[in-house]
Amino acid sequence: MSVACGATADGGQLAIECAGEELLLHHDRALYWPRRRMLLVADVHLGKEWAFGRAGLAVPGGATESDLGRLDTLVRSFGAEELAVLGDFTHAPPGDEDRWLDHIGDWLHGIPAEVSIVAGNHDRPATRQRMDRRIRWYPESRLERPFVLQHEPEPDPRGYGLGGHLHPAMRLRGGGDSIRLPVFWFLERHAVLPAFGSFTGARNVRPGAGDRVYAIAPDAVVALPAAPR
Amino acid sequence: MNRSFETRLDEWLAAGGRALFDFQREACEAYLAGESGLIHSPTGSGKSLAAWLGPLAEAAAEAEEGVSRAGLRILWITPLRALAVDTRENLAEAAEALGSGWRVEVRSGDTSQSVRARQRRQPPEALITTPESLSVLLSYADGAQWFRGLQAVVVDEWHELLGTKRGVQLELCLSRLRGIAPALKTWGLSATLANLEEARDVLLGPRGRGRLVRGSAPKSVRIRSVLPRTLERFPWAGHLGIKLLPAVVEAIAAANSTLLFTNTRSQAELWFQALVDERPDWVGRIALHHGSIDRKLRKRIEDALRAGELICVVCTSSLDLGVDFSPVDRVLQVGSPKGVARLLQRAGRSGHRPGAVSEVLCVPTHAFELVEIAAARRAAEQGRIEARRPLTRSLDVLAQHLVTVALGGGFEAGAMRDEVSTTHAFAGLTDAEWQWVMDFITRGGQALQGYPRYRRVEEIDGRYRVTDRGIGQRHRMGIGTIASDTAMNIRWLTGGSLGTIEESFISRLERGDRFLFAGRLVELAQVRDMTAYVRRAKRGKRTVPRWQGGRMPLSTELADSVLEVLEAAQSATGQPAEVTALAGLLDLQKRWSRLPVPDELLAELTRTREGWSLFLYPFAGRLVHEGLATLLAWRLSRDASATYTLSANDYGLELLSREPPAVDEARLREVLVPGDLEGDLLACMNTSEIAKRRFRDIARIAGLVFQGYPGRGKSTRQVQASSGLIFDVLERYDSGNLLLDQARREVLENQLETRRMRGALESIAGRRIVLERPERLTPLAFPLWAERLQSQIMSSESWRERVVRMAASLERSASRRRKSA
Repeated sequence: MSVACGATADGGQLAIECAGEELLLHHDRALYWPRRRMLLVADVHLGKEWAFGRAGLAVPGGATESDLGRLDTLVRSFGAEELAVLGDFTHAPPGDEDRWLDHIGDWLHGIPAEVSIVAGNHDRPATRQRMDRRIRWYPESRLERPFVLQHEPEPDPRGYGLGGHLHPAMRLRGGGDSIRLPVFWFLERHAVLPAFGSFTGARNVRPGAGDRVYAIAPDAVVALPAAPR
Repeated sequence: MNRSFETRLDEWLAAGGRALFDFQREACEAYLAGESGLIHSPTGSGKSLAAWLGPLAEAAAEAEEGVSRAGLRILWITPLRALAVDTRENLAEAAEALGSGWRVEVRSGDTSQSVRARQRRQPPEALITTPESLSVLLSYADGAQWFRGLQAVVVDEWHELLGTKRGVQLELCLSRLRGIAPALKTWGLSATLANLEEARDVLLGPRGRGRLVRGSAPKSVRIRSVLPRTLERFPWAGHLGIKLLPAVVEAIAAANSTLLFTNTRSQAELWFQALVDERPDWVGRIALHHGSIDRKLRKRIEDALRAGELICVVCTSSLDLGVDFSPVDRVLQVGSPKGVARLLQRAGRSGHRPGAVSEVLCVPTHAFELVEIAAARRAAEQGRIEARRPLTRSLDVLAQHLVTVALGGGFEAGAMRDEVSTTHAFAGLTDAEWQWVMDFITRGGQALQGYPRYRRVEEIDGRYRVTDRGIGQRHRMGIGTIASDTAMNIRWLTGGSLGTIEESFISRLERGDRFLFAGRLVELAQVRDMTAYVRRAKRGKRTVPRWQGGRMPLSTELADSVLEVLEAAQSATGQPAEVTALAGLLDLQKRWSRLPVPDELLAELTRTREGWSLFLYPFAGRLVHEGLATLLAWRLSRDASATYTLSANDYGLELLSREPPAVDEARLREVLVPGDLEGDLLACMNTSEIAKRRFRDIARIAGLVFQGYPGRGKSTRQVQASSGLIFDVLERYDSGNLLLDQARREVLENQLETRRMRGALESIAGRRIVLERPERLTPLAFPLWAERLQSQIMSSESWRERVVRMAASLERSASRRRKSA
């Protein structure tokens, strides 16, 4: 099997080239931009299990703390200077008795990087107001040449878009086997990152001809062959 | 029965040309003596009346004594909403003719709000309802008020509920009703089962020693086959498909009205289309009926059938149950019946009159199905039919029931624990399990301590109640979901409903794809809000929907009987017509290898283009063979690493490998022992993936996922998640959750049929193993070889290897498509 051109595999991550920049795709559903020492993730959906609890659905806690821990580990292992979240950092405004905002405060205290967030549709103003002041919010997309950091992925005249929102996944089949995996999806003018949160679902996408797709296995990122033209 | 009631009864029966059967009298007298019981007999033999006479006789006696009692007296439970209306007509007619003055009404998901409100103010004397609607009634605060004067519950078609979670739910509801009305009598109606005593005991709960009333003597059933005309041209192993269409058309034309049963909805669609193509003049007088077709349309078809307006209805198990279709005088079964009881039930749909002979004409779609038909006849003649085993310890259903009762006025923990333990399903409930379920509904279980606001059920002054209106509303909506899988509505783009279809089928289609549905070729236009919109399509390539659950495995009884038929086939004379028709094929099998017989296990090792195929024919049903194939591959590859491709059908299994496997009879004997079966299966199967699929139902029943209000999809999005996702989260953060255990247990017990697998291995231990090395694929081997498309690979590859391999195969098919484009 040939690996798509311009990509090299290394442990749990895969280096690719995009818009003239080198990017590392990490199997823990994160993307690292070495030149800017920036770690990018999308759709963390912190506090989702608390929203379920309030509604009377018995989903266990732990996802929020564990996801914050994963972010901390990634920032440290890459030596990132900035963590940029591409929207939907949170799932819903916190309830009066929710404690996950405190967890975020503790986490910010320990993390050795700046944290910035492009607001997503789930990041309600009510949430943002109560969030720790150390977080920098971008209400709209943000230009970081040659990229445009955005939540809803779309082509942008200013640069190559990096977004989330869709929670992309694909079903792979072959030899009687079948698995569904989250993917990084690189289109011609913009890319869609997988959802980072461990309590998030995914939606199957249909890449077009010429798109580059990278499937995320539990221990590796694997380039998929291009769809037929 | 008092004299005047009996006189009136005789007059009414005589007016319809009928007379009272002994078993009807027996059931009525037993009821009047205060007994409970189960009435069993084949369909159409007056069971309903047998159960209905007791209550009516009692009412008549009360009326004579001048006693008048208001309120609900009799609850009649039917497994299908569709049956409720017809049942009502029958019961109401008798109630009126026999002078009870009783109102008989229906309450189901279809009942309008105004009727429901009136029923709550002025309950009818007799109410017909489904298990789910009964559960909803118990969830109302005044539910107990309603049932205080209840005298009896009659459960219709109990055999359909037994062995399912709906049955478990009903057991729990019955225990609640007995708690409210301690003198309650319970009566059940059932088709013939092998374990009737058990069926009765499960239904009657603590008063398990009720009466077993046997209905009129079993009608004689004739099982015949449509035999291919040209025997020598019989495809030696392939599918007959619809080759027998001319004979089927002939049989339909010769009859007044025909029911043509198929095993799957896809087969029904195909046969309907084929019949319409063959006889365009029948359009309008031939109909298609299956569980996915719109309910209103189904009702119209049933009415037309009853009125004798239809020549033929192509149907699935959707018409297995229910009322009398007296015009039907011909029953056809396409494909193997897979079980003896099922075939007898279907045969009973013709000559739907007590005592009449019923006949079923079987149409094989595959050569070996002829043997299965002969085997079904043999088993039926010997009275060997299948059992239905009741489920136990379904904690998801228990959790749902407890929330229901907490909603309906609340409960006290100790008393509830005792009440629940009177059911068969939870008689063995441990204190730890009870504690866990209570913890789950009050605090969400172990891992929810971080949620001060989580509460479904709260303890207030020693009683457990639901106080939050929203939670109550959502719970009631979830009650009805035990039976249904994720179904999407399917509608015309221009408006109008066609029915429902499994989401998994639609998700495999793209816009513009064509498929047959409800006898029409349609084209998928768009999917929105759990609805698939279609438009009429012109002729062209099509996909027939493959619905889940259509592929029943061969029952043990039938499989055993198949082996006996094959053994008997060795002798020269006295063969059934089916075996004679197959003589050529059986002879080939015998010459190239040998015929499988009861005291031997036949194995074949054959070299093919792909490698080495090891075939085994235990005749234990497809599910068992799938499990056995995996187990065998795993046990064989423990010593010598290898990758096997597996396939299985009802007769046997195949292990394909590149290198010749090091097996002989002794080695097969070694790996075919029961050993630590459960442990080995858990180790070798991707049980987690299968358990995740099983968990869908469990999560819905236990109230872990919420499907949303109809038509209000988006507003609840913040609390919607797939059951697969919840499964992952639970596994990671709450691994002690007993619902996960239950999912794994259900995989072993129901999906893999571990019990039957163990039985098969134990039976193999007592048989001689014979390994043949035929040079070519034998008639028994060929279908397995051809089935390999749906096979699985057993190997110890890592995730990365799996993905890389599948990516490679994606690439290959992509380049093929590029070339052909």
